[in-house]
Amino acid sequence: MLAQVLFSGLALGSIYGLVALGFAVIFKATDVFNFAQGMLVVCGAYLAVTGITLLNLPFALAMVFLVVAAAALGVVIQMALIQPLAGRPMLSIIMVTLALSIVLRALIEIVYGPSGRPLVTPLPTGVLVIGDVRISILHLIAAVVSWGCMAGFGLFFRFTSTGLLMRATANSHEAALVSGINVNRMNCLAWAIGSVLAAIGGLFLGQLQLASTSLESIGLLALPAVVIGGMQSIPGAVIGGLLVGLTEQLAASYISPKAADIMIYAPLLLILMVRPWGLFGQRELGRV
Amino acid sequence: MNATQATLPVPAIGRQPRQARRAIAGKVAALLVFGCLSTGASAFERPADGVYADRVDWGIMMDMSGPTAASQVPWTNGFQDYMRKVNEAGGIHGRKVNLLVEDDRYDAARDRINYEKLASQTPVIAISGVGNSSAQVALMSTIKAGKVPIVGTYATAKAGVEPANPMFYGGFCGFKEMAQVGVGFFTERLKLKAPRIATVHLDVASGAEYFGYVQNAIAGTGGTAKSIPIKVTAADANAQVREIDAMKPDFVTHHGTINTALLLMRAMQQNGLKIPTFAITYLGTPGVYAALNAETGSNYYFVSCFTPGAIEEPGTKEMAAAAAKNGRGALKDDINYVAGWVIGQLAAEALTRVGPEPTREKLVNMLNKGFEVDTKGLSSPIKYTPDNHLGLSVLRPYSYDYQTKTYKAYGNYSDYQKYLK
Repeated sequence: MLAQVLFSGLALGSIYGLVALGFAVIFKATDVFNFAQGMLVVCGAYLAVTGITLLNLPFALAMVFLVVAAAALGVVIQMALIQPLAGRPMLSIIMVTLALSIVLRALIEIVYGPSGRPLVTPLPTGVLVIGDVRISILHLIAAVVSWGCMAGFGLFFRFTSTGLLMRATANSHEAALVSGINVNRMNCLAWAIGSVLAAIGGLFLGQLQLASTSLESIGLLALPAVVIGGMQSIPGAVIGGLLVGLTEQLAASYISPKAADIMIYAPLLLILMVRPWGLFGQRELGRV
Repeated sequence: MNATQATLPVPAIGRQPRQARRAIAGKVAALLVFGCLSTGASAFERPADGVYADRVDWGIMMDMSGPTAASQVPWTNGFQDYMRKVNEAGGIHGRKVNLLVEDDRYDAARDRINYEKLASQTPVIAISGVGNSSAQVALMSTIKAGKVPIVGTYATAKAGVEPANPMFYGGFCGFKEMAQVGVGFFTERLKLKAPRIATVHLDVASGAEYFGYVQNAIAGTGGTAKSIPIKVTAADANAQVREIDAMKPDFVTHHGTINTALLLMRAMQQNGLKIPTFAITYLGTPGVYAALNAETGSNYYFVSCFTPGAIEEPGTKEMAAAAAKNGRGALKDDINYVAGWVIGQLAAEALTRVGPEPTREKLVNMLNKGFEVDTKGLSSPIKYTPDNHLGLSVLRPYSYDYQTKTYKAYGNYSDYQKYLK
């Protein structure tokens, strides 16, 4: 049973990790604590419904549509809402992301109606049986794609010149500006990446359930993941996501579903009190 | 003098032959009589009760943009479509029925504000919907002491109907009846004497209440029921399915949301469990079946006091045509839309029978004495007696045929009366 629980936790945690990674990329690059990340997950699910069901695109093309549309959404958010608020207090920007979340929900309900939409893809939905462990192929694909995305973006940040520029911008906007880096472009790129990662998470969550606005609450589990892992840490977000998934499954299986919330949020409180920069984040030192 | 009389042409009587003058005089007299009769019917007004010369206002309090909007908006659409049909046919006693829909976002505090608004600020003759059972409980003392009746609810709180209250009339199947019919059906179908039932329910008050009803339904049989809670915001149901697997139940029953139903059925498939499962009425939507594959979906049943539009009944054809006409054809198989349509019919029938001078008081007196509506097969009969205001109590099970892509009903509603205690 433990092996089964661990697999379920890792599969689910991989999706949380993916969404959390998007959150961390946006936070690291732009200092924006994005409360709309859960809603970007919902947008991803509905973009998939649009591409696959409404536009009847072949699956591969629908995925291209999903990625391009999600990236465009991220860029529009950065240019229209975040960029004009540069230099404003963090509270104002947080309020903007909260408002954005509400507006996106309302728009989705107006365009697609309040009922959830089934998201049916050609991805296999069978089961792999390995010993006593039964593995949902869809969960497995979700985990593999999530890990692929995480590895891909890790390599992008580490080995490409654009990744280097993004890291430089994330470390210090002022220094990046002085060095001639187009900071706004880097911020747009961060929002595009964050939105695409959330949208891919939405694609899988939408298929595991329904494409509906209630996916937002699941998408928001990225927040404890990213706080536990460290808001400034890309690997921390991924590991935080896995920890949240594993904790949720272990608590629900061995204690009760209600206990899952306690087991996720109690460590979050503890970490915020003892190590506010998270398990893998770096403590910020300031000259006074 | 009304407008009809004032605009009559004045005939040049002096230049007409006597026969023609008589004919004109006869027509004038007939018009006067008709004018008096018609003004007599529509002149009655009681703005404090939402009744005007040309319209009567009826209130709806539902979640139009909150967490349960996915099921409550189709209900409201069904009600609106029925009233649109009534209004297009001339209204009721010469008055159009004007619906005032208040959005509560599934928030009991907003329901309090909305109730006061519909009771006194923009008064209505009655209110339907009130889909938040917690709000019903919170408002019950106000409703009982108030003057505006709640007629045809989307959820029925126990406090509203036990004991029967003249100001409150249910309009949806109750959890108790859902449990009794579902358990009775599967116990008989699977030829069980002491059924073992896994109840996967939301970890909220109504979920625990539902589990209690399942326990009561098997009381005296020697059967067992296990409570397996699931969170409203669950992202996975594997933990619940492992408990089901350990219990090895004869069948499963589910109280939850559409998302939890999908998670549960998919997790059962993943774990290789092919156990028949029946869900509460709210989860009998086409979306659930569309999202499940045929193998998994064929084990999924639901119990309902409403008939999906695809099943041929005298009432379903008319409803399906209206839904299509109003651009909502896809909703005809949504149990929530059907429920709204049926309650629209209840409201229209009540306004018809209360007569040309309707008031809240007359409406309450009429309903409280005993009232029955034949919904032409769209539901089990709606019946109120002085002691029972539940309205709809008999349900029947349904499943979905993936080959014909239609719902399958098991027998008639009356076949399941025997399971109700």
